[in-house]
Amino acid sequence: MIGKPRNSIRRKLTTIIMLTTMMAVALACLGLVAKDVIDVRRDMDQDLLALGEMISMNSTAPLTFGDRKEAGAVLALLQSKPSVVSGAVYTDHDLPFATYIPGKRVALPAHPRSAEGIVRSNGLVELFRPIMLDGKRVGTVYIASDLRDVRARMKEDAQFVVILLGACLVLAFLLSSRLQRRISAPIVELARVAGAVSQDKDYTIRAAGRGAHADDEIGELVTGFNAMLAEIEQRDHSLMRYQMQLEETVAVRTEELTQANRSLLTAKNAAERIAEVNAQLARESALILNSATDGIMGVGPDFEPSFLNPAAARMLGRELGDFAGHSPHELIHHSRADGTPLPEAECPMSESLRRGEALTMCDDTFWRADGSSFPIEYSATPTRDEAGNMIGAVVMFRDVTERRAIERLKSEFVSTVSHELRTPLTSIRGALGLLGSGLLGPIPDKAQRMLEIAVSNTDRLVRLINDILDLERIESGRVELTRAAVDAESVMVQAAEGLQTMADQAQVRLVVVRTAGSLWGDGDRIIQTLTNLLGNAIKFSPPDTTVTLTGAAGPADYEFCITDEGRGVPEDKLQTIFDRFSQVDASDSRDKGGSGLGLAICQSIVNAHGGRIWAERNEPAGSSFHFTIPLVAGVAVAVPIAAFPSSHTILLCPSDATSRIAAMLGARGFRVVSASTAADVIARAGSERPDAIVLAVTTPDDGWLIVEALKGAAETCQIPIVVAMSDHPGSYESYAATVANWIRKPLRSDDLIQALDLACRTPSVLVVEDDLDLARVMTTALESRGIRTLHAVNGGDAVQLCKQHEPSLIVLDVGLPDMDGFAVVGTLRESAALSRIPLLVYSALDVGSADQSRLRLGPTEFLTKSRTSLADFESHVVRLLETVTNQSNRNLHAA
Amino acid sequence: MPPRQLLVIDDEDDIREVAKLSLQLTEGWEVFTANGGLAGVTLAGSMTPDAILLDVMMPDTDGPSTFGLLQQGTATKSIPVIFLTAKVQSSDRERFMRLGVRGIIAKPFDPLKLGQQIREVLSWS
Repeated sequence: MIGKPRNSIRRKLTTIIMLTTMMAVALACLGLVAKDVIDVRRDMDQDLLALGEMISMNSTAPLTFGDRKEAGAVLALLQSKPSVVSGAVYTDHDLPFATYIPGKRVALPAHPRSAEGIVRSNGLVELFRPIMLDGKRVGTVYIASDLRDVRARMKEDAQFVVILLGACLVLAFLLSSRLQRRISAPIVELARVAGAVSQDKDYTIRAAGRGAHADDEIGELVTGFNAMLAEIEQRDHSLMRYQMQLEETVAVRTEELTQANRSLLTAKNAAERIAEVNAQLARESALILNSATDGIMGVGPDFEPSFLNPAAARMLGRELGDFAGHSPHELIHHSRADGTPLPEAECPMSESLRRGEALTMCDDTFWRADGSSFPIEYSATPTRDEAGNMIGAVVMFRDVTERRAIERLKSEFVSTVSHELRTPLTSIRGALGLLGSGLLGPIPDKAQRMLEIAVSNTDRLVRLINDILDLERIESGRVELTRAAVDAESVMVQAAEGLQTMADQAQVRLVVVRTAGSLWGDGDRIIQTLTNLLGNAIKFSPPDTTVTLTGAAGPADYEFCITDEGRGVPEDKLQTIFDRFSQVDASDSRDKGGSGLGLAICQSIVNAHGGRIWAERNEPAGSSFHFTIPLVAGVAVAVPIAAFPSSHTILLCPSDATSRIAAMLGARGFRVVSASTAADVIARAGSERPDAIVLAVTTPDDGWLIVEALKGAAETCQIPIVVAMSDHPGSYESYAATVANWIRKPLRSDDLIQALDLACRTPSVLVVEDDLDLARVMTTALESRGIRTLHAVNGGDAVQLCKQHEPSLIVLDVGLPDMDGFAVVGTLRESAALSRIPLLVYSALDVGSADQSRLRLGPTEFLTKSRTSLADFESHVVRLLETVTNQSNRNLHAA
Repeated sequence: MPPRQLLVIDDEDDIREVAKLSLQLTEGWEVFTANGGLAGVTLAGSMTPDAILLDVMMPDTDGPSTFGLLQQGTATKSIPVIFLTAKVQSSDRERFMRLGVRGIIAKPFDPLKLGQQIREVLSWS
């Protein structure tokens, strides 16, 4: 805030003007006074000189004549000058000749000769003037004057200056106080306006006074000031606007913040509720886990159990602590049900956990701490984090001892009932048959009719019992399907032939439209299904109609279709017709001799094959029954089958199913040569030099003659022979030694392919070792045993070679220049085929148990270089190669 | 030519009777019966029938055991044996055939066709 200024600009301006004036006047006066003093002095000097001249001239004579009186008279002339304080005339010898001292006594100079002219000293002005006569100095005039004239003059000057100054100041004050307004007034106005603006904050006020100063700086100042005010006013407005906007914004933000706060609060409450629910869930989970009767085991990423629920602990007789440093397999799954050891490498549970795949097994055995075992079914499910990485697994298992017992009881019960029911039925049926035959004597017609009813119902009861047993066995899964490649045309013809008589009796035409296709299934069961459906169709067909059986091969399935021209299936029964005892008409069972289970059995068989079965209504009459069975080609994609180069030639020997096997092999790109007789086999083996011989024999003795002949001849003794027979050739030791492999009849395509693969392949070992000398030692040793070797100096080459050659065994060094052994194993595990290759880890250092699990492929062994002799190494390789062959054999036999 | 002699071994009296009667009436064969495995083996040793119809499910000595005993006896070794069984599962059928029996006839049988079935199995004219 601007107050009233103490020194207003007016006073300042007045003061400045007056000071300036005073200084100017003072300076002027000082100059005048100085000049006046100089003038006075000069005049005084001239007066003295004139006086001296005059006295000098007038003193010559008195001096010459020694007339002191005259000289005194001359000096007396000095009286005209009151300022002269003393005067004297000296002789040539500086002796005072005459003196003049008007006032108080003053000293006269003693040696006037020494000075000449005017000398100023001690407030006096002294004149020394020689007195000359004819060019000869005769004496000296001395005159001393004080400065009273000068002082008097200065006094006058000072008075004048003071008066002048005073007058000037008065004049200056009068003028300045009137003139300063022209400058100060606008400024004062500005100040006033500024004060008003600052006091009232009113930026609309404008300063006046521009008029008189239109063209000078003050004018500009006023203009600038007003412009500034305008600017401020505008800014003020803007500011106010901004302020208002700001307030609005703040209000909005505040509202938002409030809302956000509210949301946060809600979220917090929700989070608390969730936490509460979570805690509740955790409690419930714990309760569930603890009270579950199934065993539940959590496994960490290292496959070491991290959790065991009480039921699991009770069943296994173990605590969680028992598992420290052990995999579940080592403690509870180490042996098969028959007590033989189950290597971890062959354990499907460990395998699926390693691969991160879920697995359910219905028929396995766990071992308790006390060494006893119990049958279980279990599921192993990998657990994954949000990113999908496997972080462990959960193994849930159930003791199925009781269930097994019940199943056994049920099976026994069914078997017993079947026997117990059939036994009296056999007697009844036999007795009735004999009676009805008339062999025991003539029977009245009515009695005959009753006997026929009794016989037909007995037959029906027998069929019913048979069907119930059949259905029970298929659905319980106790009758395993014997899957093989099945020729679709062949099963169609077989089924149709079996029903031809029935069709003839019913006067129904049976037409088969054949389409080629190789089915993957149980031939007998497929024929059973076809027979059932064809039989139904014939039964429900009026005479002189046609029942047609057609087949069509799709991309993955083969579809059979049985069409009749009978009464058809009502729309509402199309779905339920496959249910047990569901017949379109309740009287069918009696009239047509069905058990009511035929379609249910068909459905069970088709479902067991992974196919579909359905019924359709045809216009104008009749119905169609369809069902599908997978094709071999469709299965071949899903079931990994050992890769086999297509260039191989296979010699097929006498067999009841030669054409089927030939088709099976041909479909996989083999070149197949067939031979029909033993002599033919031996001859063709010599001429064709096949890569393998498949010998299908009916009795071991038949085959042995051919095997002996083949092994006896030089050109055929090296050809691997695969023998297919119905029985295990266990007692025929000679076979085991000479035959490459044997498989069970009926032939299944993957068994055969696998057996051929094993038979034809020379075992090859991939040695992965960066130490070239060591690698050479190893490969030489193995080659000397007839084992083909491949060598890789780094992990990258090893993976490449594995993919190209799929060796029978890998010998792997862990420390490798590029990717280490773990990385190699990790990469190989990604491929289903390569992950099963047996592995011999041959490392410089001992491999710890944790690391061992990361280094497993198929059957895996660990050797430490420093502790293993070359002979040990070789024997390990040989043994591992043998395990592979044996394992494959066992798989084949078990299958 | 004397009539063919057949031995039926079954623990069920009724079935023995029906079988005996039907074979006698339809084929005219001479039929002997035994109510158990051991009795059957003894009888077979003494009379050496042309064929034996042997029930599978019997108490004490069942069909396969009886068949084993028959195979051990020098006199009975070469007698063809046909199993008569209510077990009609294919697995059982295979198992029985592997034992070396000549054929299997399912229960219940049609009394009028039993003889024909036996003749077919044994290739009798």
